[in-house]
Amino acid sequence: MTEQDKLATLTQILRDLLGDDEIALAMDTMREDVPGWDSFNYVNFIVAVEAEYGIKFRIAEIESFPNVGAIVKAIEAARPR
Amino acid sequence: MLFNSYLFIFGYMPVVLAGFWLLGQRRRDWALIWLTLASLFFYAWWRPVNVLLIAPSIAINYGLSRALQRYGETRPVLARVVLLSGIAFNICFLGYFKYLTFLQGTINDAFGAGLILTHVILPLGISFITFQKIAFLIDVHAGRVTSFTFRDYALFVLFFPQLVAGPIVHYREMMPQFHAAPCRFDAENVAVGISLFFFGLAKKLVFADPLSRLIAPLYTQTTPVTMIDAWIAALGFTLQIYFDFSGYSDMALGLARFFGIKLPVNFNSPLKASSMIDFWLRWHVSLTRFLTAYIYNPLTLALTRRRQAKGKPVFGGRNTTVSAFATLLAGPTILTMFVSGLWHGAGYTYVLWGVLHGLLLSVNHAWRLLRPRFWRDARSYTRLMKPVGFVLTFVSVVFGMALFRAPTIGGAVGLWQGMVGFHGLTVPKALFSHFGPVANWLQALGVQPVWSSGSFLMEAVLRIGILLLIALCLPNTLELLSRYEPAIGVRPPRQQPAWMGRFAWTPSPAWAVGLACVAAAGILSLGELSEFLYWQF
Repeated sequence: MTEQDKLATLTQILRDLLGDDEIALAMDTMREDVPGWDSFNYVNFIVAVEAEYGIKFRIAEIESFPNVGAIVKAIEAARPR
Repeated sequence: MLFNSYLFIFGYMPVVLAGFWLLGQRRRDWALIWLTLASLFFYAWWRPVNVLLIAPSIAINYGLSRALQRYGETRPVLARVVLLSGIAFNICFLGYFKYLTFLQGTINDAFGAGLILTHVILPLGISFITFQKIAFLIDVHAGRVTSFTFRDYALFVLFFPQLVAGPIVHYREMMPQFHAAPCRFDAENVAVGISLFFFGLAKKLVFADPLSRLIAPLYTQTTPVTMIDAWIAALGFTLQIYFDFSGYSDMALGLARFFGIKLPVNFNSPLKASSMIDFWLRWHVSLTRFLTAYIYNPLTLALTRRRQAKGKPVFGGRNTTVSAFATLLAGPTILTMFVSGLWHGAGYTYVLWGVLHGLLLSVNHAWRLLRPRFWRDARSYTRLMKPVGFVLTFVSVVFGMALFRAPTIGGAVGLWQGMVGFHGLTVPKALFSHFGPVANWLQALGVQPVWSSGSFLMEAVLRIGILLLIALCLPNTLELLSRYEPAIGVRPPRQQPAWMGRFAWTPSPAWAVGLACVAAAGILSLGELSEFLYWQF
């Protein structure tokens, strides 16, 4: 799977979570850029991503993802192709 | 020593700054040691014996952090034990001073045990200091803080601008700043610092304190509070604590900036919030950040993973089941806000206030999930419903504040009953007579003319009206100073109205005159010493 596929999957997860079909994530999207993507929804998003890929992030990691790209990279690191 | 005292403004601060800059010219680390010692002195001034409490607590926490750092990688089980005992130590430390009496009282209330209450004097700022220390332990354990010395740690805990009432800061956002600070006089830092400090001083002394004196009798009144008075009490306290805490937060930002240090955002026009979630992202931001990162997130993460392992449905956005919502969102939210309430004060009113906010937040989240089912277009929804959200949030916050301020739950309920009209509506006779024919209609509707002070009502309405306009319509200090990064990460918005650009703070003669007036108003009101509301927490 390429970065773009992962990005599309993450976008779909977030759209479902926030109920907003206009969300479009890019590698450099930050949480503040998406209306309604606050800290409360963040954990739910992370767990949904974990479930999707069957992986587990470390708590310290979760707190420090600077943008969506970092999450994509962490997924790739957790499950090498 | 209060920030709002002659001694602090004209004695302590000039001496500390002069020493800091002079030493900074020779060696930076001398300046930082001076700052640490000055902070300890600041803390000791209030009650010297407190130093005997905070010093061992710093030493023990430092020792535990060192152990965590040492065994974090090699012996994970041991590291976990150290972390948990560290957290337990800090909670017990706080518990003894803050909650022992409350616990004894609760046991007495519940079982009629007749325990004699131990009266312990609360060391200043202990709730804030404790949370910050716990965050540090967790950060070291999680590998977010990798290197630190005792000197750094002591400065991080004691740094006086944020020592007593926050913002609750993280080591990783403070230490790089201390390490990079030039420790020299810098015109921009001093100008921004002075501006923030005096904005805060004026908010506290000119806006918050007179209101506090005005409404205090309403909270001790033994007869039922009628509708107008009840709203004056609730709105008045909301605005009092708003300007008190906003003022404190500005002063903390300003004082830190004198030393070239930026603190995180703590207060960002919360009354402008259009939802409860939005409110908590604007009111006491650093506390929300702490509670989210160290209680809510780990809790939901663990719960969600557990549900998933059992094969039960987890939180799935618009497809969320009721049980997933209750266990994974409402439960943790209410629990987190319960902790927040308890943290604010050892009393039933604070606990209930926290739970109430937890419930309101849960309702807000539930609505966010349900809304798309019957109002699909997010844009039209936002446009039409934002004002409704604002009003609902505002009224909820005001009702909550009555509970926060009331001496007992019974008192708060009485006030709430008054606000919705259970105790009738009265108007001072002197004013009533000015209403002319309208007076008859009002009387027919049940409005009672009574012998009470018309000037009290006028003053209250004027003060509350003006302060509401300021809180709701004017840009806040962060926005005014956004070009100079008044708090960590604050920058001018990408689009802002043209008039904002014209009024924004600049080192100009016009602003100098304006700020001199603000400062004069603040200093001339210094007479009476009044603590910040948040210093008691």
